[in-house]
Amino acid sequence: MLTWGIVAALAIGVYGQRAAGMAIIDPARLADRWRRVLEAMPLAILSAVTALQTLTRGGELTVDARLWGIGAAVLCAWRRLPMFVTVVVAAAVTAAARALA
Amino acid sequence: MRQVPDGTRLTRGEAWTIAFTYFTIAITVSVVHSTAGTDPLVIIGATLIVNSATATLAFAAVQASGGSAVAGVLSGWLVCTRFGVLAAAIAPRLWPSRARRAAAAFSAFDPNVALAMREDTDQGARRVYVTMSLWLVLPWWAGSVIGVIVGEQLGDPQRLGLDAMFPALFIAVIWPQLTGRRPVLIAALGALIAIGLVEPMPGGVPVLLATVAALLALPTPPAPPPDEAGAPDDQAPSC
Repeated sequence: MLTWGIVAALAIGVYGQRAAGMAIIDPARLADRWRRVLEAMPLAILSAVTALQTLTRGGELTVDARLWGIGAAVLCAWRRLPMFVTVVVAAAVTAAARALA
Repeated sequence: MRQVPDGTRLTRGEAWTIAFTYFTIAITVSVVHSTAGTDPLVIIGATLIVNSATATLAFAAVQASGGSAVAGVLSGWLVCTRFGVLAAAIAPRLWPSRARRAAAAFSAFDPNVALAMREDTDQGARRVYVTMSLWLVLPWWAGSVIGVIVGEQLGDPQRLGLDAMFPALFIAVIWPQLTGRRPVLIAALGALIAIGLVEPMPGGVPVLLATVAALLALPTPPAPPPDEAGAPDDQAPSC
C-alpha cells in the first residue's frame, strides 16, 4: 500500500536520477565515441526491458502466453505494419493463447 | 495546434499508439495499487509525482512479499536507474541549459527518448522529445484517474493480454533501428545480459548492467551507415 510519504520518497529518488542523468552530461565536452555509446544506450535498455517483460515475472524466468504475443509483434514489426497494429495484435494473441491454454 | 511537429520522423500513428498504450497500462497499474489497498488520491498523486510505474509497482511487489517500507523504496529507486541512463543518453541532443534539461528530465521515459534519438538534427530531437513527453504523460495521468474510478470492474488485465503491450510497443520502437550488424549485436547483448542476470540480481540491476552492451558502439563505425539515408516510405499515419 502506497502512502504520501512513500510517494514522496519514491518521487525524490526517481526524479533525482533522471535530473542527474540530464545535468551531469556536458554536451560540449563529450567526445564522439562516448556520444555514440550514449546514443546506443536506449537500444540496449529497451531491448533488455523487452526481454524481461516477455520472459520473466516477479524476477523469475517464465515462458507463458506473452511469448506468442511478442512473437506476433516481431512478425508485425518485421512486416513494417503500423505500431498500433503491432501493439494490439500482441495483446490479442496473448489473450487468445491464454484463453486456449 | 499541430499534433506532431512537421519536419521530423515522428508520425501521428506512433504518437497515438504510444498514448493508447500508456493510457491502457496506467489503468491497469491503478487497479493493481487499488487492490493493494492504496487510497485513490495517493494512486493519482503517485502517477503525477513519481511519474514511473516501474518504481511504484516495485515498491508494491516488495511490500507484498513482506519487505519493509525502506526496502520497498530502495527497490523502487533501483529499478528506475534506467531512466537516469536514458536521460543521460538524450541530454546531449537537448538544450545547452542545465536547468532546462533538468526540467525535461521529469518525463524521461523509454519511447520518447528512443524516438527523439531517431531524429537527425538536435532541433528535431528536442521537438520530438517535448511532443512525445506530452503524448505519453497526459494519457498516463488520465489512465491513472480512470483506473481508480473503474477499479476492479476491468477484470484481470492479464486475461486481456495487456501485459504484452509494453514489450510489443518496445519491439515496434526497436525494430526499425536494427539496421546493420552493430545495432543488432547491441540489442541482442542487452537482452541476453538482462535475461542472464535477472534471477541472481535484484530488480533493476540486470537492466542497468545491460547498458554495457552500448560499449559496442565505442569503436569508430566501419562506414557511415547507408541505411539511415533513405527514410522509410511507409510511415504514413495509420490510425
